[in-house]
Formats: sequence, C-alpha cells, structure tokens
Amino acid sequence: MTPPELRALIADCLALWGVAGRVLVAEDGIALTTPDGTPLRILPARRSEHPVRWWLERPGQRRPCTSILGLLRGLRNAVGAGEGDARRLRVALPET
Amino acid sequence: MIPVSVITGFLGAGKTTLLRRILRDPVYSNSAVIVNEFGEVPLDHELVAASEEILLSTSTGCICCQVRSDLAATLLDLLRRREAGEIPPYARVLIETSGLADPTPILHALMTDRTVAATHRLESVVTLVDALHGAATLARHPEAERQAMLADRILLTKPDLAPDTAPLLAQLRRLNAAAPIETATHGAVPPHWLFAPGQHAADPAALATWLEATGHAVRHSPDLACIAIEREAPLPALALTLWMQGLAEHAGARLLRLKGLVRIAEAPERPAAIHAIQHVVHPPEWLEHWPSADRRSRIVLIGQGIPRHFPARLLSAIETEVAEEMAKPGFRPPRCP
Repeated sequence: MTPPELRALIADCLALWGVAGRVLVAEDGIALTTPDGTPLRILPARRSEHPVRWWLERPGQRRPCTSILGLLRGLRNAVGAGEGDARRLRVALPET
Repeated sequence: MIPVSVITGFLGAGKTTLLRRILRDPVYSNSAVIVNEFGEVPLDHELVAASEEILLSTSTGCICCQVRSDLAATLLDLLRRREAGEIPPYARVLIETSGLADPTPILHALMTDRTVAATHRLESVVTLVDALHGAATLARHPEAERQAMLADRILLTKPDLAPDTAPLLAQLRRLNAAAPIETATHGAVPPHWLFAPGQHAADPAALATWLEATGHAVRHSPDLACIAIEREAPLPALALTLWMQGLAEHAGARLLRLKGLVRIAEAPERPAAIHAIQHVVHPPEWLEHWPSADRRSRIVLIGQGIPRHFPARLLSAIETEVAEEMAKPGFRPPRCP
C-alpha cells in the first residue's frame, strides 16, 4: 500500500469518525494531528520486523500494528473517536 | 384487470427474501415482477431471478422519483408483450420498491394514470419492517414512516433477532391502526395473507384523493449515498471476512444496507450472496450457481455519511495484505466448520 493510498484511507476514516484532522504524506510515512493538537505518525515497518506492518507513534508511545484493521483501530483510539463495534466474522466455505 | 401488489419496506427489511419465497409458491409463480433498485449496479434482480417469473429491473433511479415515466411505461409495455404472446400470460404484477422509496407516488400513478388504471388494479400494499432496526429506522427516515402508513399489511421480519417487539408494534399501530400485522422469519408467511385485497383496493378513489392532497413531500435524505464496488478477480474468503468486519466496525450505524454477489476465490463456481444491515452482518448465503453469465463480484452499499471511496479503499488495502500473507509459506486458508 503506497503512502498516498494510506493517506486517502485515513482521511476517509477521519471523516467517517467525525474527527477534524489533517493527514499528510511525510518523508518517512504519514503524519496527522489530532483535534487536541497531538502529533501522530504512521511509519511502515521494516521487513525484518514482521509480523508488524506499521508503527503508530504518538509522543512517548510506539504501538505495533500487524494489519490495516489493527492500525485503524489503534488510530481511532488515538484520535479520541471512541471504539467501533469490533466483532469477529467468519466466512464458512461451502462443503464440496 | 391485472392485480398489482406493492412490496415495500426500508433497506434490509427482507423484501427480496420474501419475494423469492413467494415465487416458489406454485400459485404465485406466474407473476410478473418489477424490481426497482436504487443505485448504479442493479443487483436485487439477480437475487430474485431463480425462478421462471417475468422479471424487469429498473435501475435508473428510485422509482418514486420518476414514477410516471418508468412505472406506467413498464406496466404497459409488459401488458403489450403479454397480449402479443411475447411473454407468458402472467396473472399478477408484483412490484418490489427500492428500500428508499416513498410508495405514495407509486400508488398515485397506479390509480390515476388512465391507461394503467383501466387495465390494472391495485390489490394490496405490503410493508416489511425489520423487528431489530425498525424503531430506529422509523424515527430517522420519513420514507420508512410513509411506507408503514400506507400499508394494507405489515410484515414484521426477523423477529428472532429482536428481544422485545412490543414498542415497535405500538409505534406501528400509531402510524397505521388498520393494517393487520404478522411476523415472519425468512419470509415464511402464506402469500394469500399478503395479497388479500386491502383498503386501497376497496376504495381507490378515496385513496387517490388523499394521495393528491398529501403530495410527494418525502424525498431522500441528502447525505444518503449508494456506493458500488465491482471486482473482476475473485476475492479470497479471508479478505471478504476482514473487509466486512472493518465496515461493521468503522461504518457501524452509517451502513444502512449492503448487498452483494461475490466470487470467492476458494469456491468461484458458487456465488456468495452477502447482506449486512448497519452493524449486523449475516453469514454469506451460497447460491447454487451464478444467475447470469456475469461473474464479477458486485457489491452495493447504501450509507449515510460514508465517504464515497472508503469501502473500495479499505477493500483494496485488505486484498493487498491478504495476498501478501497467502503468498507466505505455511499459510493456512480458512476451512469449513
């Protein structure tokens, strides 16, 4: 996923959560600012850090995210948008 | 005179499920069906088209907004083809409205268009109300309220999902004191109960006058959007699962309705019909075969305040991630339970 694609998805999410924030493609990842002024950064993990895909950084804290859904969940919490209705689903394949 | 019944109800109330069930009844299998869809990608007709019925799909917009040009023309064209022997001699017409339709102009057209009124008679208006979401939907959407007010019969669907339907029943009684109310799971209700002649059939002139007086005040909410996603390549089951989880988690109550026919990579010969209403995601229903030669995945979402590209962007991100994981040695795909 390219940084512009991630930026567009995160901008959509902020709109969906009703959070006013700016999202920018920065040199090392994605930068955004929460409504209370807290700076956040999303950095792609190195291949050697697998299964981590992204790091969600806020001042004094660095959170590993292993999936895009994990990243969005962490980001939602970080911008103070509350929790979504997270639940596990399963697509049962037809019996052959 | 050909009887016409209108099946209406808000998004996700179960209209298509009911219609499929009705058409399996031998008495009703010779019905012409008009499915009106709200959105760029017509889908409901694919879900209905399992039987031999005469089926037309109108997808130019919501039928209530262009009812004179669309519905009247469609009914008369059907009649012409029936009389010319081009199509089987159907015994009745069933109209499934879009979930966002205000039925008022539909009934108005049926009763006041001279050519239509001379050849067709309105038999009944059946309104489906979702037992779980119905109360909130009635409170938020004037179209849903109008659907309940105009019903000859009200069918409360999915009662198994709602712990207490008493408040909703009271709300429906306030809106429509006359219509009998029945409950049904998965559309299991005798069709003859649905289509017994109703108050509209009994006194169409009085209703036409009332409709004229009340006008067409209800229109669609401005921030409602219909979003379509199409995919040529099959989707891994895991990607579909994660995408629907993500939608339910982040779009929540904004997701009014989701329907889709999805080509799953692990079972490409059998389309998965998917449904979601707000945060309630139903397990995919595996159809026996594709309803047409078109085997693309087609998903339609109707949402309130959902950014237009969010669902597709989320799906692309998940597809990429799942493809990377599946390419790794030792990856185990999901299994049947």
